[in-house]
Amino acid sequence: MSELKEAIYKGNMIKAKAEVQAALDGGADPQQIIDESMIPAMEAIGKDFAEGRAFVPNLLLSARAMKACLEILKPLMMAENSTILGTVVIGTVKGDLHDIGKNLVAAMLEGRGFKVVNLGADVSKERFIEAARENNADIICLSALLTTTMGYMKEIVDAVREAGLSVKIMVGGAPLNAEYAASIGADGYSSNANEAVALAKSLMGA
Amino acid sequence: MTGKERIRTVIDHRSADRIALDFGGTNVTGMHCRVMAALRDHYGLDRHPVYVYEPGQMLGLMEDDLAEALGIDTIGCFAKEDSFGVPNEDWKEYTMPWGQTIMFPAKLADCLEMRDGNLYGYPCGDKSLPPSGEMPERCFFFSSIERQQGEIDDEKLNVEDNLQEYGDISDEGLAYWKQTIEKAAASGRAVCASLGGMALGDVARIISMAIREPRGIRSVAEWYMSMILRPDYIKEVFDRQSQIAIRNLEKINAVVGDKIDVVYVCGTDFGTQNSQFCSVETFRDLYLPYYQRMNDWIHANTNWKTFKHSCGAVFPFMESFIDCGFDIINPVQISATDMDPKTLKANFGDRITFWGGGVDTQHTLPFGTPDQIRDEVRRLCDIFGENGGFVFNTVHNIQANVPVENVVALMETLKEIRK
Repeated sequence: MSELKEAIYKGNMIKAKAEVQAALDGGADPQQIIDESMIPAMEAIGKDFAEGRAFVPNLLLSARAMKACLEILKPLMMAENSTILGTVVIGTVKGDLHDIGKNLVAAMLEGRGFKVVNLGADVSKERFIEAARENNADIICLSALLTTTMGYMKEIVDAVREAGLSVKIMVGGAPLNAEYAASIGADGYSSNANEAVALAKSLMGA
Repeated sequence: MTGKERIRTVIDHRSADRIALDFGGTNVTGMHCRVMAALRDHYGLDRHPVYVYEPGQMLGLMEDDLAEALGIDTIGCFAKEDSFGVPNEDWKEYTMPWGQTIMFPAKLADCLEMRDGNLYGYPCGDKSLPPSGEMPERCFFFSSIERQQGEIDDEKLNVEDNLQEYGDISDEGLAYWKQTIEKAAASGRAVCASLGGMALGDVARIISMAIREPRGIRSVAEWYMSMILRPDYIKEVFDRQSQIAIRNLEKINAVVGDKIDVVYVCGTDFGTQNSQFCSVETFRDLYLPYYQRMNDWIHANTNWKTFKHSCGAVFPFMESFIDCGFDIINPVQISATDMDPKTLKANFGDRITFWGGGVDTQHTLPFGTPDQIRDEVRRLCDIFGENGGFVFNTVHNIQANVPVENVVALMETLKEIRK
């Protein structure tokens, strides 16, 4: 199991997939593989990132390895009673096509036990609301890189509240800060992918 | 002092008669066409649509009358082709989704296509190819569409593929630079030449909208991951690319020489808002030797000053940028982590010129009041302007949503400071 953790931590996708297969062949439970190796690996790389020892390329590699492993495990988990921390609908807001940071947040959330519905970039308020309803989301996660598109976040927050959805809204992106998040009525702000996981957990009351 | 003399003086870390000023000298120190049109109106200049020479960011061409009205010390020289690879010629009116009529090269204007509220552009204006740029509804510029051909197969990866956009300059290309730079030099302003070919691993160029059929690594995420997965491949690209660049610089230097004051080398971003894209060790291993090679050649053979752009929290890289031989750092993103103006000036101010950092463009300029802008501009000019080593520019281009009264407050404050 520690081999798998190391492979994901180092972003070695091929080795990680082989380790997952070997663990399954050895009779390991998919949820146990995720809980005991994959989540700790993502926590470790997230911590290194937060402390300046790892960088965006490291996160991208670990996220890719983790996603490849989840693709093997997910079909096996449908039948079982998998544990998820919560469901997050995430997207970059309308008018904005920047998605690297948003995809990292999505991957870190997924890697740490959330179900993530990634709507991509240039997402309208209607799409966010529809996806949140369809997936019975606990959290809507909004991203914007531009000063010209961050204003649309308020429109989304207002529309979500008006739709009466019982959902928390968290926001992030380069020009944002906690004050801005509070001013538009969002429930929280995080400045990077690692912080986003901590915020999502706290919004879930976990 | 002429603009040229003023810029030269401050880059030599001496005080000039007043703060040096750039707008429009490079593709990272300009203005969105919407702001430029509003400024032209404010100063009562000739009413005509703004020429958008850089459609990727929708930057307006700084014409002489506006440069004069603002007291700008620089003049930009840009490649003949725009970011879609279309030559900037045969201008034609085009009305943007926000209602503004601007000028585009006809070949670009004619290829643009609106679908579901999104505007699409094509590489070299060729509609037989898939679109390479997209301006979604509510956006004010084009973003590149990633066109990497499937997953990367390391067995088949060929360094030539990531060099497809680089090559030796043609006689026609050389004649273009000679004519463009000579004309610009006659203005008396400092000539900032974006000669191209020297940007190492700039993701905006990796996924360039201009390449007809991109080959090799052409995804932003894949390129970033390649810094860890394929360092030898990247080094080979940089090695070959920097050799080609120097061959071209030799030719350009032979025809224009000292008429260039500042050469735009590279816009690769090494900083994020709060962190960096790699460690200092990785930077020094992967990038520094090739930057050094180009900067060393320039300094040994010309009087040009070299300009490096990198957004974000780049304080940890500053010492390395200086070791690379860069004379100028831009945009000095003072809103990013650890980019405190006083600390930057105290640590590096006598060794590198800060070209930018004059007002925060993420908060103050778009969302602040005119009074807040006036205060910030004065404070930052005081800090960065001491003993030269500073060219005023906003942090990056002025974006489309900045209220005109804020831009006017900025420009009028500069006029007062520079009296």
